[in-house]
Amino acid sequence: MISGNAALTGSYDLPQVALSVLIAISASYAALDLAGRVTATRGRAQLTWLIGGSAAMGIGIWAMHYIGMLAFRLPVPAEYDWPTVLLSLLVGILCSAFALVVVSRRRMGLTYALIGSAMMGCGIAALHYIAMAAMRLPAECRFDFRLVALSVVLAVGFSFASLWLAFYFRDEPQNSAWRKLGSALVMGVATSAMHYTGMAAATFIPAAPALDQSHAVSISSLGTLGIAAATLQVLGLAVLSSLVDRRFDAQGLELALTETRLELAHVARIATMGELTASIAHEINQPLTAVVNNGNFALRQVASGAPNLEELREAIAEIVNDGTRASAVISRIRALLQKGAPDRVELDINEVIQEVTILVRHEATLSGISVRLDLAADLPRILGDRVQLQQVLINLVINGIEAMRTLTDRPRELLVKSAKNADAVLIQVQDSGKGLYPEQVGRIFEPFFTTKPQGIGMGLSISRSIIESHGGRLWTVPGSSGALFQFTLPTDGNSVS
Amino acid sequence: MNERAPIVFVVDDDPSVRRSIKRLIGSVGLQVELFGSAQEFLLSKRPDAPSCLVLDIRLPGISGLDFQRKLTEADIQLPIVFITGHGDIPMTVRAMKAGAVEFLTKPFRDQDLLDAIHTALERDLARRQQQAEIATLRTRLNSLTRRERQVLPLVISGLLNKQIAAEIGISETTVKVHRGQLMRKMGADSLPELARMAERMEIPATKLNFRRE
Repeated sequence: MISGNAALTGSYDLPQVALSVLIAISASYAALDLAGRVTATRGRAQLTWLIGGSAAMGIGIWAMHYIGMLAFRLPVPAEYDWPTVLLSLLVGILCSAFALVVVSRRRMGLTYALIGSAMMGCGIAALHYIAMAAMRLPAECRFDFRLVALSVVLAVGFSFASLWLAFYFRDEPQNSAWRKLGSALVMGVATSAMHYTGMAAATFIPAAPALDQSHAVSISSLGTLGIAAATLQVLGLAVLSSLVDRRFDAQGLELALTETRLELAHVARIATMGELTASIAHEINQPLTAVVNNGNFALRQVASGAPNLEELREAIAEIVNDGTRASAVISRIRALLQKGAPDRVELDINEVIQEVTILVRHEATLSGISVRLDLAADLPRILGDRVQLQQVLINLVINGIEAMRTLTDRPRELLVKSAKNADAVLIQVQDSGKGLYPEQVGRIFEPFFTTKPQGIGMGLSISRSIIESHGGRLWTVPGSSGALFQFTLPTDGNSVS
Repeated sequence: MNERAPIVFVVDDDPSVRRSIKRLIGSVGLQVELFGSAQEFLLSKRPDAPSCLVLDIRLPGISGLDFQRKLTEADIQLPIVFITGHGDIPMTVRAMKAGAVEFLTKPFRDQDLLDAIHTALERDLARRQQQAEIATLRTRLNSLTRRERQVLPLVISGLLNKQIAAEIGISETTVKVHRGQLMRKMGADSLPELARMAERMEIPATKLNFRRE
């Protein structure tokens, strides 16, 4: 031991100390952010995030330590052994990778967190002391082992806090940015505390350089700034890419939502068609009855030996017509049952109303309801999805029919009206039932709100979203006798020829 | 009896089903008239001929079963053949109880419809004949004198002339004359035949409080 020589008194360059703390905070923030990404992704993407994330974090921790060391000014020139420096960087990256793996686990028990933080803390302490070992200066470095122990304890404690914070903030939505920032602040300050405790543990005694100087390089103030800038850039990039990735995830979510909405509309359509089975069966059975009758007539004519050819021709022509009619009903129903992507075409809303009337008229007849159409001539064409608009109309008409089923004191009448309305067409469906109670009016379009004993309460909510997706509006008008539902659809200016 | 040609009325809201039924029924030489609704049928002027109704049970505005009841209430006694897309058992039972001839599910066998129509027409023919006979009997009944009319229920209740004479306070000879006129005017060859005629006209035999003493 060399004694007699007074220890070198060092001083801290305060701006550089501040810079090191800033980098510590930035690295912590990046760590918290990246932990979320590593957790949210799977497979190859997860591996990429893990490697990229630990590199960025490792560089951050490493830079913090070096800038912290460079901030310590000794009256003798200090140089650094670059292989040792690289080794410390590697330790930093491995340590970060380990931390990310720990926090991205599905669950983190206390034991797991303790083991994780012990390893991570030791890793960081190792980084720190390896970095110090990279110092090449004409002095001997002595350590106060109590302070060294304290710095290791601090490192482990700080790691524990970081892991815990990272674990709890990794799944938080965007609004947790402030909390994340707060945690990063705590973590960054804790890291710095560990570092400067470690620095305080060292005392430098002037001596001839005992260590190998062949790979030593000196680092200027400019170099320090370079390291800091590069580090902040790496950390910034990591956070940015994490942000972009999150956005993409959100977009995927929106896509999934649209998909779900389509699915829901489809299911609702199937449910409605289920209610209409009697009607549908009737609409197919009628032409089939005519076909069978006409076929039997033709057979009888032929069997008679002297068929009336003109009558025979008429009967066969009717068979062809009725067959075509049945087939048209089937293809319309198929279209309603199919799950297709929305298809916007130019269409005449009156045509859509008439098609729907064919499907529901028998249902109305069964309930003793007369359906009246009041369709404006020369309506402009609208751009829309035929099946979706049919779905809305069927919904409104069936609601009207169901509202009138128990009616005894007045005629059961359903009116479907179309009219031109500024730059839109207006379609109204009015029943003569009891109407809506005021408390129902506000809630009728809410999902799962229903006034029917067997209803699931999705019809109107889906109808409204369909009309809104067409740029129109669906609402109910209170105060009229019976319920009045109406919707608008914007026109593109062309007139139906 | 000199009846007119039978006619089949068809009420169905589907024009093409209507036409096909007309063709089928027409092919066996029956006359057919088509209606799109119950209202249309009620407003039409129906010829006085043996006829029946082929009726869709689901009609706009009124159900076929209600229509059946309405016809009965209005004393329009037409045998009805119901046709329906999907008949359930309660509906069938109701229709048959209310006097429907047949209940056919669409699409039906042509022969089933034609058989049902023939049954219905036969039923209507029989009813018309019966009504015609009763009408004839009523004409004959109206040709009786007051005394003859008075004697009739006593005769058919099996009383002897002497008993009748005592009952209404005339001579037995006079009763005998009335009885002979009555039998002749009514065209009855025997007492049992006269009794049957009276029964058809719903004239009750009078059981007398004869054993007064």
